[in-house]
Amino acid sequence: MGDVSRLLADYGPAFGQALLLTWKLTAVSFVPGFLLGMVVTVLRLFPLPPLRFVLAVYVEIFRNIPSVALLIFIVFALPDLKVLIDYEPSVILTLTLVCSAFTADYLRSGINTIGGGQIEAALSLGMRPMSIISVVVLPQALRAVVQPMTSLLIALMLSTSLASQVPFPGRELTALVSKIATDSAVGIPAFTVAAAMYVATGLLIAWAGATLEKKLRILR
Amino acid sequence: MSRPLEDILFGGPSSQAQTVTRVVSAIAAAVLLLLAAGIVFRFHAAGQLDARLWEFFALPTTWAFVATGLLGTLASAAMAAVIALALGLVLLMGRLARLRLVRWPSIAVIEFLRGTPTLLLIYVCFLVLPSAGVKLSTYWMLTLPIGLSTAAVVAEVYRAGVLAVPRGQTDAARSLGLREAQVFFFVVFPQALRYIVPALVAQLVIVVKDTTFGYVVTYGELMQNAKVLIANYQALVPVYLVIAVLYCLVNYAISMASKRLGGPMH
Repeated sequence: MGDVSRLLADYGPAFGQALLLTWKLTAVSFVPGFLLGMVVTVLRLFPLPPLRFVLAVYVEIFRNIPSVALLIFIVFALPDLKVLIDYEPSVILTLTLVCSAFTADYLRSGINTIGGGQIEAALSLGMRPMSIISVVVLPQALRAVVQPMTSLLIALMLSTSLASQVPFPGRELTALVSKIATDSAVGIPAFTVAAAMYVATGLLIAWAGATLEKKLRILR
Repeated sequence: MSRPLEDILFGGPSSQAQTVTRVVSAIAAAVLLLLAAGIVFRFHAAGQLDARLWEFFALPTTWAFVATGLLGTLASAAMAAVIALALGLVLLMGRLARLRLVRWPSIAVIEFLRGTPTLLLIYVCFLVLPSAGVKLSTYWMLTLPIGLSTAAVVAEVYRAGVLAVPRGQTDAARSLGLREAQVFFFVVFPQALRYIVPALVAQLVIVVKDTTFGYVVTYGELMQNAKVLIANYQALVPVYLVIAVLYCLVNYAISMASKRLGGPMH
């Protein structure tokens, strides 16, 4: 325990900042990723085969590519194509793209839970397809995907650790642990503190998700 | 209801609607082709289509090296999967135990391994353990953390499967005089496995993705070998592009297999 108290005395504020950075990276990549995934889902509903094909390829690529491989491509290969993106936006872009692909996939299964009869009913009421999507389809699909989206948010939070792979101005938790482990001999306590912060954040998200799920679940 | 929802939504049979759809489709195709052309032009303008950058892909040694990397990736992923399946079962037994003294630590271990980034665990094996006197080979520095963190996830997947088996099965097996262990291993668990095969295979995709961190510990997997190729040929974009495509293909194949396996059960 002496190690932990010494560690917190030396690196306490650094851990606080690292945790905040982890949270920030999670939030700023989840929100646009979620919205982008929603746009992709809606666009895939339109009866436009070329668009559907390209978006299907988009989803499969970013669902299956390892995030690190994508990050490394964005950071190290894109400059050769005269596209320069700074380190922090690169990490956020990586996580956003991956998050959008998974969101699109989950929302699609959410949409599949909606009975076709509802669409026929809405059409016979004279509703336009676009308003059916926004009033009938999306709200129900969103309510059906709270649980998978919670898991996705937790996975995304853990994935922010890949920010440690690029020379980032700030340090998130994993980068901080790797720095402390190389600089000094308090590697194990540093790891324990960081792991506790990750686990606590994950449990917090899981709890919030479960609460939301209880409120929004559609009983069938 | 077998018709997909979007077919009902846009299935209006009026010929006018169909014409509009066709025209918009054509426009969309044109825009997307233009976009693709723009990307190709960008490659050309940046000089990334020069033969110099691509010709080494014609050498068999290049592909042999890439194949070695792929084998390294698969060897690590397969061992990590074996560890995860076996240790996951142990964690599941602990998680389901009646004794609190066994159950609570199991829950703690599962939550800890599940809630910590695999990369952080890799750093522990790579940076922290050696200073504590534990020396692992690069293969194990990569495979062990992936296996451990996947084991915790697999334990939860197993549990979902076990909980999905109807209670009547347990009751019936007990009333036949089977012992608890027999009930679990001969009746409940085999049925649970059938429910969760797709989820387990899908987990394999995540394992393959995690092995990408092999370059962190300089284990010779696909990503690490890509770095070596780049150092040799100064062809950053082509190599990373090919590697990314390879990862996508491997994982896509696994995803498809998981969907196929998920099919006939229901």
